[in-house]
Amino acid sequence: MAPATAWLLAMLVLPLVVVVVFSFGERAAAGGYSAAFTFENFANLGTRWAAFQNTLMLAPAGTILCLLIAYPLAYYLAIKADARWRTLLLILVIVPFWTSILIRSYAWIYLLGGQGIPKLLSTFGLGNPRLINTPFAVLTGIVYGYLPLMVFPIYVSLERLDKRLLEASADLGSPPWRSFLQVTLPLSMPGVATGCMLVFILLMGEFLIPAMLGGGKVFFVGNALVDLFLQSRNWPFGAAVAVALVVVMLVTVTLYMRLTRRWAGARDEVALM
Amino acid sequence: MTDRKDFISREKFMAELWRYKKGSVTRRHFLGVTGLGLATSVLGSAVPGLRRAAWAQQNIGDRVVLATWPNYHDPANFEAFTAATGAAVDVNVFGSNEEMLAKLQAGGSGWDVFVPTNYTITTYVGESLIEPLDLAKIPNYDAASYNQRFAGPGTVDGTVYAVPKNWGTTGFAVNTSQLGSLPKPTTWKEFWDITMAEFSGRTMVHDYQLTTIGNALKYYGYSFNSIDPNELADAEKLLIEAKPHLFAISSDYQPSMRSGDAWMTICWTGDGKQMNRDMPEIEYVLGKEGGELWSDFYAIPKGAPHVDAAYALINFLLDPAVNARESLFHGYPTADARVDALMPPEVLNDPILYPAQELLDALEFGAAVTLTDPNRAELMARFKSA
Amino acid sequence: MRTYAIAVYLFLYIPIGVIAIFSFNAGRHAAQFQGFSTQWYGKALSNPFVMEALQTSATVATVSAALATVAGTLAALALQGVTGRPRIIFDALIYVAVMVPGIVIGISTLIALVTLFDFLNPVLSALWPLAGAAPKLNLGTGTLIAAHGLFAMALVVIIVRARVSGMDRSLIEASADLGATPWGTFRQVTLPQIAPAILAGFLLSFTFSFDDFIIAFFVAGSETTLPIYVFSSIRRGVTPEINAIGTMVLAASLVVLIAAQAILQRGRRRET
Repeated sequence: MAPATAWLLAMLVLPLVVVVVFSFGERAAAGGYSAAFTFENFANLGTRWAAFQNTLMLAPAGTILCLLIAYPLAYYLAIKADARWRTLLLILVIVPFWTSILIRSYAWIYLLGGQGIPKLLSTFGLGNPRLINTPFAVLTGIVYGYLPLMVFPIYVSLERLDKRLLEASADLGSPPWRSFLQVTLPLSMPGVATGCMLVFILLMGEFLIPAMLGGGKVFFVGNALVDLFLQSRNWPFGAAVAVALVVVMLVTVTLYMRLTRRWAGARDEVALM
Repeated sequence: MTDRKDFISREKFMAELWRYKKGSVTRRHFLGVTGLGLATSVLGSAVPGLRRAAWAQQNIGDRVVLATWPNYHDPANFEAFTAATGAAVDVNVFGSNEEMLAKLQAGGSGWDVFVPTNYTITTYVGESLIEPLDLAKIPNYDAASYNQRFAGPGTVDGTVYAVPKNWGTTGFAVNTSQLGSLPKPTTWKEFWDITMAEFSGRTMVHDYQLTTIGNALKYYGYSFNSIDPNELADAEKLLIEAKPHLFAISSDYQPSMRSGDAWMTICWTGDGKQMNRDMPEIEYVLGKEGGELWSDFYAIPKGAPHVDAAYALINFLLDPAVNARESLFHGYPTADARVDALMPPEVLNDPILYPAQELLDALEFGAAVTLTDPNRAELMARFKSA
Repeated sequence: MRTYAIAVYLFLYIPIGVIAIFSFNAGRHAAQFQGFSTQWYGKALSNPFVMEALQTSATVATVSAALATVAGTLAALALQGVTGRPRIIFDALIYVAVMVPGIVIGISTLIALVTLFDFLNPVLSALWPLAGAAPKLNLGTGTLIAAHGLFAMALVVIIVRARVSGMDRSLIEASADLGATPWGTFRQVTLPQIAPAILAGFLLSFTFSFDDFIIAFFVAGSETTLPIYVFSSIRRGVTPEINAIGTMVLAASLVVLIAAQAILQRGRRRET
């Protein structure tokens, strides 16, 4: 724990101090930071309300979609798949991410663009919908980009499931859906909670997927931050937006953990019976 | 790539270089075949860029760090530089001037040479992030042979801080096969009007305040660089009205233009040239009302760790023969008459690279004030989140 | 169930197929196929900037993921015995480490490090016994590993802890009762139980670092990683060279994976 603590202090606490100090500063004439003590940056947060609104809508939606798609896969990998192939199959989930995210986004731009899926659909007479640069494209990109982050923790918690439990439950005449609800699901809850939290948190800071698959027309807090730090170089305002974002996340995550803990706790008792 | 007789072909050069690197030929063989050998000898005159710079024969260290734009150099030139001087060129590539500025402002860049665009230089000077140049160390820079319009922004208050690299324009590209019975647009007014009518859902604008706001200002005939609140309010109205009709707000427009998803986009010279070369129906247009003209420079940041190597590299790259090879490689024109003399006529007659004088006259250099104007930044944020 | 899994793998690999197809594009663009060619593979392999960037990325990703996995796993295990205020503070720090968006962590780390180094470097050179030979702290692969590793470590702590929380403590106690040394218990009881979580944490860490642009952009000093190279290329046109690199990295990983799997299988067959 000592190395971890030292690492956190040096590489996290120090930069965080910088962010907080900046958030009370002023933008220097040529951009960047100039020392001051003002609450103006926080007072201006309202100008980025639309970005917060978009993010707070699409991030939970993306998280739930990720969960719905990832859970069955994690279940298959941990329980149904041949043990000999399990690790290989798991790694295959993440291998696509070793190309560059930019190139994967290009592939999606192509697939969702006029030459890709819409063209395929129209040859079957299913219309020619506009897919690229829509919220749908952004959600597709989100699910694609964050799937491993959801699959892995769920897999890890399901993998320790003792299959004899399921067999015993079946022997006792319990239908499969009941053993799933009473044995499997509660056991996987820590994984589900972890996966959802990781995906949600990282989605809140996402900027690349909306920029590339949303055609820059879907504006997240992450995009606002990138513009503030790299384009207009209003670092103090950027720092204030970042502080606000972290506070929003801390509140959401704390509430969420309270809820899941209570829920998982109640379930655990059921599972233990 | 066009091979010129006055220097060894690029393919042959690279082939020899690889043989040398793999160890299948000796350094002497490599230097002899490529003509670099003479450069390292005392009489050295075969390698351009090094002949007059006696001090460059001193030890300039083993590396030099260059911060520049992507696809903006011929790697063979760097290899030649390294072979002749022993300093390896470490290249950092950037996406925008603002990113470069943000990184220099934050500190610790480790760069020796960087490539700022005209409108940023006064800001670098004001922030003391840039070193005045000692022109005695850049004998290949011959001010008299440069077009002063492009070289000018490198000099601030009589001090030369930067020497010109390449220049270009910002216009728009339009897929003429999608125009139907419409005449080809030639003005920014038509650009925005078609966007909101016939080309609805098919136009792209840059994710960049300078060009997107600038060219919206041009709709009303205002200056590209305006920071007047009333004029900016007009531009904002136009942008917000046009937004639902846009295909995307993105500076990466080539893929969508090529696939046919987008039909029209704000566009830089080099992209316009590349798209037009492969798909002649995509034409590059400079709006009659004007728009942006830009010029890139070589400069040395304050605190550069390898100053001698920085001067040697700038001097080498400004040699007309080397510069011509650079220009043929990346396709952007230089402002140096000595380089033009070495370029093939078909390049010099290309209207995309060298637009007609009356179109050029209407263009404006981006102004430093637009970079730092908070209203333009906030306008862009409102436009993007609308 | 199996059909579903196949469908998800198709979803994951169809874009990869598109990338591979375009790497054989004769034209220079990533979205317009103009005939078959292998020229971009040659170009990628002979482009010194790309190869150097690839090497930097591979090194940084491997080292940061390895360090993060070790430190993160140890922290997650040690946390079991920690309660009260230290626990709350540590937990909060771990979550904040994942919460701060990359752009913010990147720029603030850069500023914090530059300030720190400006302070430390004169001190170092004053204390150094040999004149003129003092090491100079600089931004580079070292700082990049530290920054990537921080995020990765938080990730590992969170994932391993989800596993540890469900671990059977009685096994560990039994092992101790039977006279096993703590190290023996760790190796034979704890480690096998948390191994899947460690593997998952390592893979996610490696992937994060290998694919990160925004943090690296700020803290890599004058080093260029592969994502930095690729991202900066947007402005002036990405060529299929990048597709070729991606395809090669992918093909190489698949070959290694399949070979490893084959060796494991053979080993297992011999055992049984």
